[in-house]
Amino acid sequence: MTTSIAAGGGNWRTINIDALDPDSPYNFDVSALAPSVDPVSAADVTSLGTQIRQLLRGGDAEGALRGALESVPYGADAKGKETHLGTIIEILQSIRQAEMSPILQRIYASDGGVELLDVLMKYIYKGMAQHTSVAAKPAIQPQPTGFSQISGRSGGEGGGQAMSVLLSWHEKLVEIAGTGSIVRVLTDRRTV
Amino acid sequence: MAPEVHHLFHHSIADHSFTPDRNTVAVTRDNNVELYVKSGKSFSLKDELRGHDKTVTGVDIAPNSGKIVTCAQDRNAYVWEPSSTGWKPTLVLLRIDRAATCVRWSPSETKFAVGSGARLIPICYFEEENNWWVSKHIKKPIRSTVTSVDWHPNSVLLAAGSTDGHARVLSTFIKGVDARPEPSAWGERLPFNTVCGEFLNSTAGWVHDVAFSPSGNAMAFTSHDSSVTVVYPSAPDQPPKAVVSVATQLLPLTTLLWTSESEIIAAGYNCEAYRLSGNEGGWQLAGSLEAKAGRAQDEREESALNMFRQMDLKGKTKNDTVLNTTHQNTISTIRVHAGSPESISAISSSGVDGRLVVWNL
Amino acid sequence: MSQSLRPYLQCVRSSLTAALSLSNFASQTSERHNVPEIEAASSPELLLNPLTVSRNENEKVFIEPSVNSVRISIKIKQADEIEHILVHKFTRFLTQRAEHFFILRRKPVKGYDISFLVTNFHTEDMLKHKLVDFIIQFMEEVDKEISEMKLFLNARARFVAESFLTPVSFESTLFADGSHEIVRLIGQSLEWLRKSWHYDIATSLHAMPCHFMTMAIYC
Repeated sequence: MTTSIAAGGGNWRTINIDALDPDSPYNFDVSALAPSVDPVSAADVTSLGTQIRQLLRGGDAEGALRGALESVPYGADAKGKETHLGTIIEILQSIRQAEMSPILQRIYASDGGVELLDVLMKYIYKGMAQHTSVAAKPAIQPQPTGFSQISGRSGGEGGGQAMSVLLSWHEKLVEIAGTGSIVRVLTDRRTV
Repeated sequence: MAPEVHHLFHHSIADHSFTPDRNTVAVTRDNNVELYVKSGKSFSLKDELRGHDKTVTGVDIAPNSGKIVTCAQDRNAYVWEPSSTGWKPTLVLLRIDRAATCVRWSPSETKFAVGSGARLIPICYFEEENNWWVSKHIKKPIRSTVTSVDWHPNSVLLAAGSTDGHARVLSTFIKGVDARPEPSAWGERLPFNTVCGEFLNSTAGWVHDVAFSPSGNAMAFTSHDSSVTVVYPSAPDQPPKAVVSVATQLLPLTTLLWTSESEIIAAGYNCEAYRLSGNEGGWQLAGSLEAKAGRAQDEREESALNMFRQMDLKGKTKNDTVLNTTHQNTISTIRVHAGSPESISAISSSGVDGRLVVWNL
Repeated sequence: MSQSLRPYLQCVRSSLTAALSLSNFASQTSERHNVPEIEAASSPELLLNPLTVSRNENEKVFIEPSVNSVRISIKIKQADEIEHILVHKFTRFLTQRAEHFFILRRKPVKGYDISFLVTNFHTEDMLKHKLVDFIIQFMEEVDKEISEMKLFLNARARFVAESFLTPVSFESTLFADGSHEIVRLIGQSLEWLRKSWHYDIATSLHAMPCHFMTMAIYC
């Protein structure tokens, strides 16, 4: 304890004494609330992404979306999670506006669909939070869909194009899964 | 049947409790508890229980003895007994250093449990020789504020929900106060502070409310992820038979109760009460308690004249300061109002909007 | 451009509705206190995952929810230097009068221009959907306000420049003996212009926020 006080620069008034007490609420270990998950390597996430992209190229956007949402790499590191986010955003961008609601309806009606849509909601918010890195790194942007060029051009506007895709998905998703879905994004300790 | 609505005041009601004859109701208001008596069709203020000096968070009237227990954020709980000079409070030795959040009498009325922010649950009972209420602390697995408690019909088992995301079933057996309970699916030997079950749903959201089913053989809890989870235990020290979770489209539900073994009513931030039905095989949302379809129709059929008149008077066409629900803000507590435990026929609800509503099911 | 504004505001609306599910929650770290947990941040389990809603890089809303309070931070669009100054002056004006706005935070969260702090006491006293309306309306109005101010400023600058330079162009004699004199004059006029801009911003700001204050968020 003396060492940590010394490390605080000797300013006794600014020491957070709660942090020094292992029993205090300040030291609640939130990670203990999330169920334990197996670690997923970044390579696995990448190969998964390749498989899903193949589905997407084959024209099965719904299957690709479902596949991507079913295999969430909760156990991956930050880089792996980012890769999966890139995969999902790519799928979302390749689905036309008119198809969004029917696809979401079908997923919602299927077994465990609520959970899948909650995951989708998490990725939509993550996409909006991290859009700078997504837009700034063309490496994540896909080639075959042609959307990479569009978002490349709009890069000057700060990824406005990518955002409007996410925003319209969000709107459709709330219509189907309700505000409950947003509440679960807020609450869930398993972050994507 | 239309619900019976009583708008008592413009202040949040954290908790309410009726006397068994349903003619008097105790409601929390700020630092006090107010007693309202039914006269004709409305309730009028009769008495005030003053003593707490912070927001009162819980009130419960024991149906047989008529004693009222209250607790507040000032860390205290009082037991109020009627006397010739009015209500006489007795301070309970809670020995907690944080807010008390909720309080409930056990069905036997010899004990009550108080939830607290001190990460423990004082189980209080009366000590004859010293003539005061003392407490024993349930401490062990609780890691955050206890938000709600509910008693098993045997008055020994207690369900407790907490902001650490867990709903727990704990033993409160106190020698000399309780008779040895019958063994149940929750446990056989039940010394004080036995943890009979600890349940967490997939998102680990804060647990807002817990409730045992009428038989006590199932427990349900609502959590901040807008879900209701029902747990069916199998045998002592075994994993439960079934844990059924319903993730709803609604905002979080803050309170729930069982109306029978196969039906739960839950209400919360949507300002509406909802019915859930099901069994071990699965549960689903069966709909709202409010009949709103008719009213929505009325709103649409507005004449153009009326629209322009509204525009002229208020600068807008619709009065959007009134919600189309009976409660105008979050519902904080629902309680049984009439019926036997196995089939409840009426419930009462109170909320942040200062309304007290009685619903016939 | 405006086609993405509606989904953006809609997204903010539903996110806020979800986040504003607050309860009266006493502090579990300090005795007999009831503080906004999002500001105290003394118990990590009482905080929820923060959300970001963004329309593009320059327009974002950051929502940090907790058990009894929500902090909402807005990044207002700033396309150029002038808008940057205008937004700064405008938000500074508002935050200095934070007590009139009930939910305004005195200091914005880092990286954002203005922050609101909504506690359970606000959601108890006011209608929740009206609180959300207020924030949405604020976001709409602030953009309008800034672009109006910018137009006004440009118009005034043009007027000042014209009236300042008119006499110069008539005195053609100046051109004969050296253009450096004109250069000096223009430099002077620009300096004066810069001052008058600030003056404009200050005066127009004093007139403006009145209608924000009168915005009725009470039931």
